[in-house]
Amino acid sequence: MLLDSLKPLGIDESKAFEIKLCVEEAVRNAIVHGNKSDPRRQVKFSYWVEDGELNIEIEDEGGGFKPELVKDPTKDENLTRNSGRGVYLIKKLMDRVEYIEPGNKVRMSKRIK
Amino acid sequence: MGVRIEPKSGLTVCHVDGEIDINSSPQIKKSFDKLISAKTPKLVINLSKVTYVDSSGLATLVEILKNMKSYGGRMRLACMSSKVKSLFEITKLEKLFEIMADEESAVATF
Repeated sequence: MLLDSLKPLGIDESKAFEIKLCVEEAVRNAIVHGNKSDPRRQVKFSYWVEDGELNIEIEDEGGGFKPELVKDPTKDENLTRNSGRGVYLIKKLMDRVEYIEPGNKVRMSKRIK
Repeated sequence: MGVRIEPKSGLTVCHVDGEIDINSSPQIKKSFDKLISAKTPKLVINLSKVTYVDSSGLATLVEILKNMKSYGGRMRLACMSSKVKSLFEITKLEKLFEIMADEESAVATF
């Protein structure tokens, strides 16, 4: 739905790939890690385009997390670990990422024009 | 998502198509578990028809590699699109995997 609504803006395939990946990673983190997969808890998703920049907010109903405590998955000793790669990809593929206290809401932005 | 297994020049080539993500990863893992149980010695995974990979997909490929290494098997990835390859570069997984530009060279130099 998000990507369909961005098509009229002429967003290129490469950016669409990156945005899809970051949204899916963030939503999954919200459901699994934030809401602990509790179906009674909700995830709020909103987005808007302003001054050629796509802004996305994803908020869960969990207690939040501290992104600085996520181990760097690119370090040799962590390469075969299966955690932290989603958060890392979001940080690298979006232009700006902010975790809002207590860490249960992420705001990410990417220039699309 | 689909996995097609093809014996070729004394090794095994797997052609994966579609998206390797949280939805398809269990099925992909199951397909490769059979090859790992059979202790397949040399495996090339052709990713030319893979359009999308997420962190679960990357984790699945890491898992397959770890399982193959556990018995001395070797695995190579080939024919990645530039978008998929960029994920391996960003996450530094390119250091972990043998990544080849095309299937022919992956098979010929094994």
